[in-house]
Order: sequence, then C-alpha cells, then structure tokens
Amino acid sequence: MLALMQNETLKLLRRRRFAIVLSILTAILLIVAYSQYRILRDNARHNWRADLQERVARAENALRRGRMNPSWARSVRAEIGRLQFYLDHDIDPEKPNVPRFVRTFANVAGFLLLPLLVSVLGSDIVSAEHAEGTDKLLLTRPVRRWKILAAKLGTLWMFATLTLLCGAVISFIVSSAVLPMHGWTEPTFNGFQLAKNAVRLDTVRQLPLWRDALIAYGLEWYALIAVASIALMLSVLFRSSAASIGTMLAALIGGTILTRISPDWTAGKYLFVSALPLADYYTGEPPPYDGMTLTFCLLLLAVWAGSAILVAFTLFTRRDVFG
Amino acid sequence: MQTLTAQHLTKVIGTRTIVNDVSFEIEEGEIFGFLGPNGAGKTTTIRMLVGLIKPTAGRVVICGHDVRHDFEKAMRCIGCIVETPDLYRFMSGRENLTHFARMLGVDGSEIERVAELVNLSHRLDQRVGTYSLGMRQRLGIAQALLGHPKLLILDEPANGLDPAGIREIRELLRSLAREHAMSVFVSSHLLAEIELTCDRVAIIHKGRILREGTVRELISSQRAMEFRVNDIERAAEILGDTAVIDHDRLLLPIEETAAPPLVAALTGAGIDVYRVAPNKQTLEEMFLEATGGETVD
Repeated sequence: MLALMQNETLKLLRRRRFAIVLSILTAILLIVAYSQYRILRDNARHNWRADLQERVARAENALRRGRMNPSWARSVRAEIGRLQFYLDHDIDPEKPNVPRFVRTFANVAGFLLLPLLVSVLGSDIVSAEHAEGTDKLLLTRPVRRWKILAAKLGTLWMFATLTLLCGAVISFIVSSAVLPMHGWTEPTFNGFQLAKNAVRLDTVRQLPLWRDALIAYGLEWYALIAVASIALMLSVLFRSSAASIGTMLAALIGGTILTRISPDWTAGKYLFVSALPLADYYTGEPPPYDGMTLTFCLLLLAVWAGSAILVAFTLFTRRDVFG
Repeated sequence: MQTLTAQHLTKVIGTRTIVNDVSFEIEEGEIFGFLGPNGAGKTTTIRMLVGLIKPTAGRVVICGHDVRHDFEKAMRCIGCIVETPDLYRFMSGRENLTHFARMLGVDGSEIERVAELVNLSHRLDQRVGTYSLGMRQRLGIAQALLGHPKLLILDEPANGLDPAGIREIRELLRSLAREHAMSVFVSSHLLAEIELTCDRVAIIHKGRILREGTVRELISSQRAMEFRVNDIERAAEILGDTAVIDHDRLLLPIEETAAPPLVAALTGAGIDVYRVAPNKQTLEEMFLEATGGETVD
C-alpha cells in the first residue's frame, strides 16, 4: 500500500497541481498580510475602541432600518454581540499580529479557498487516468482495484492535510515579515450563541490563542478530509478531468451561494457545503440554518464523506473499463 | 501446457452482442495472432482477457488462474498493452517504469534490463511527452516485460514503428518466445506482419472467431497451381471442370507433381504456356475471403 501511495504522490507532484496550490496560497496570503500591515500602521494613530464602537453603531443602525435578509440579520446580530463582548472586556480582537493572522487563516480560508484548492488537487485523481488512457495499465497490474483506489484516497487525504499545514506555515512566514510575533497566549473567546435576538454570553469560553488556533485547524482539517472524499467520488463518476473538477467547483461555489441567498429553504442544511465552515461556526458565526450545531455539522460531513467513499469504491471495483 | 485459455467469452451490452462465444488457447512459447476488422470485437476481447471488462459469459484462465477469481495471480503472469501505449506523459520513461515496477514489487535492476531489451536506455530520463509514437510503443513493451511475465498481450505493437522498428520488435518477440518460452498474443492489422511473426492465428469477425489454425494451415488449406497461357478459354476446357479463371490466370487445385502432364497436354493442343507456379494464397487473400472482403482495421 505504501508503494501505491508513493506512486500516487509521484503522479500528483509531477502534474504540478500541488505547486499551483502552494503558489495560489502564497499569492493570496502575501496580499492579505500586506493589508494587515497597512491596518497595523494606521492603527498606530487610531483608537481600536473607537473603531469597534463605530462598527457596532453602524451595524445597529442597519438592523433598525430593517428590510434585511433574515440570515444576514442573524449574522449581524451575532457580530454586534461579539464586538460588544470584546469592548466590555477591553480586548482588541483584531490586533494584527502573527498568531492571530495564522489563526484567522483557518476561518477565512476554510470558508471556500481551502476546499476549492483541495478540489483542484483531487477531483481528477481517477478521471485523469481514464482521460489519458493510463487506467488500462494501472488496472491490469497484479493489484486489486480497491487497493488502488484506497491508495488514491489516502494520498488525497495526505495532500489535503499538507495543504492546510502549508497554509498555516506560509501564513506564519508571510505575516512574520510584517507583523509582531507575540500574542500566542492572548485570550480568545468563542462559543457565542445566538438566542432569539441577543447573543448568549453564558456559553462563552476563554482560551489562550494557541489552543483556540489548534481547535480551529483541527475542525478545518476534518472539513477538508470530507471535501477530499467527495472529490474522489466525483473523479470516479466522471470520465474527464474538466467534468469532475468543474462539477466539484460548481458544487462548492453554487452550494455556498445557495446557503447565503435562500435561508428559507431549510433542506439546505443537509448540503455538505453548509457544514464546511466548521471553524466559523466554532468561533461564533451563526450557521445559515437553524439546528446546525457543531455536532450536527460534524456528523453531516461524516455521512457525506462516508457515502461518497462507498459510492466511489462500489463503482470503481465493479465497472467495466472501456476506451 | 496452455498459458492462456479463453472459454466461450461473450459480452453483451444492452441488446448488442459484441463478442459471441469466443474460445481459444495459447500454448507456452507460442506467438498467437489475432486478426479482425474494426469493430470486430478485438479490443473488447483483449479487455476481457486482462480483466478490464467482465465477460457476460465465459471465463479466462491465465497460467491456471481464473482472471475473475484470482485476479492478482493471473495478472502477475502477464504484461500487456491495450489499444494504445498510453503512459504518463508528464513523467520520464524511468519514472513510468518505476511506477509499474513498484506495483509488481520488483527492484530497480529490472528497469535497466527491460529498457535495454527495447533499446530505450538512452532516452529513459526524458519526459514521455517528448517521445515519438514508436518510442512510446517500445516503452509500453518494456513496461509489459517487467517482472518476467509468462504471457505478453500486445495490441497493435507495430503501430507507429518504421520498417526497421517493426523488424526489431518482431525479432524481439521471436527471441522472447524461443529463448524464454514466453507466449505472445498479438493483435494486428498488418497481415504480412502476422504472417511473419505468428505461429498461430485466429480471425475474428462480428464478434465470432471465423478461422483458427497455424499460419501454414490457414494458407495451405487452399493450395492450387497457377497457369498463365495465351488462350485462357481453351486451356480451361482442356484442364477440365476444376479449373477456375481468375482474371488473366487459371487456378487448378492440384499438387505440383501433377502439373507436367497437364503442361504437355496444353502445349500439345497448341497453347503457349508462359508460366506454371504454385499459387501461394496470402494470409491477406484468405482473410478477405473469410471476412467477406471488409477492410482490416
């Protein structure tokens, strides 16, 4: 199995997919780090308390004016509660420093960027072999088909993990060039929950930043493993790289848009994309639909990933390979 | 001992029967040719032999192992190229061979050995994308030879090769069969090539095997003497009912030794005889006759 995974790794690297993913990550992080650096410079003159207060006031005004999409309104209310909480405790939640930059990467990139990158890596891991005709050789060697697919899945999981780790490392390197390094033990607050129209504060937990970051990364990793598993299924279902990658990207982007624009369609909470921003929900961003607790999201993703793997293996091990 | 046995292979897709009750055997050290026009079911049959397609009925046994129930053992006995020699173009020849060697669990010295055999050692570190079709064909054969298989299954191995390359491959296959007792299954549309390379041939058409036998048997099953004369009509009368007029020649189903008296009879009747020769039917003529004149491939 190790030899098979070595093979898959070799092919993935030689296709230069991973290089592309790393370049995209670096480019985006450079831009974000630069903008953070600008904020840092401006903040030297500004008062963060005044900024936060202004933002709370503006959000409250927007709420009062009404005519707001209900899911958007919930999001705004949660935001107000959170900001107010930080104001009350006299903590600047957005002070630019390296630890917070690295921590925030899990939330921001986990929302869409990392799932997209993992899809680009893996959505054609099987269909490309078919399109290039190499499956005829791959599947006539003395290795059973399920082992070949298992090696592909294992390799995808490995690269999904690597993508996340590289994201963390690159965000660390990039931000350490322009932002202050200290802050790993700064307190963070999470577990904000929206009840009716106010944010509940009794569920809020305080954690040092490094532990908070570990949890966020752990959740994001879980989500990416699920994305990789679904990508594997699509790569088995389709016969060309373009079709499988395209479908995966459309599902991710389309699903994300859908959960934002039609919060009334409650069946949307069973889409895997609704559950993907795990790190966001953990921090306190209200999920788009009621009843989407963290446990629900974790289970939902497990069911999606499990079914995807089942479909992929059933099809792959049984089907006829035509030209 | 049979290296490969195909028993009553049938593949039905929807209502179409693509391969219909195909059976044949390949002996140890034998080069077996598989001929058929395009859409005859050649490739489907090959895909069933190597386990890519599950037969609707029938089974394939390779070196005593059933392909469906003992897939790993059966595949360990073969090396193959199905249709085109598609390898990973974005990797070098050596990386490709390493990839497949890992799947077999054979070591790096095997890679040098097979590259040497197909004369590709000097280009092994270049990307396969830069190879010519002939080189890819040779790399495909090198890949198939990894791990000393007992049976090579090659689909159109002469494709994309120049005459020198074809000859090289033919000699390679012959020496593999002779010296290593390796069996070879070759499909080809180059009839002359099959005639030169193969010991036995099966002709498949519309999913069925029409003829099967040694190349010599198939060709000599219709032996005849050919006569060229100045008055073909009269000569036909003299030679009797079995004589057949074929354009400017007369064909008579007799042995060589029976010819001289007939020549005497013809000259006696005042007919000029220009040539008398055994009419060697080529595999091509036999093939066209068997398949009803449809073009090959």
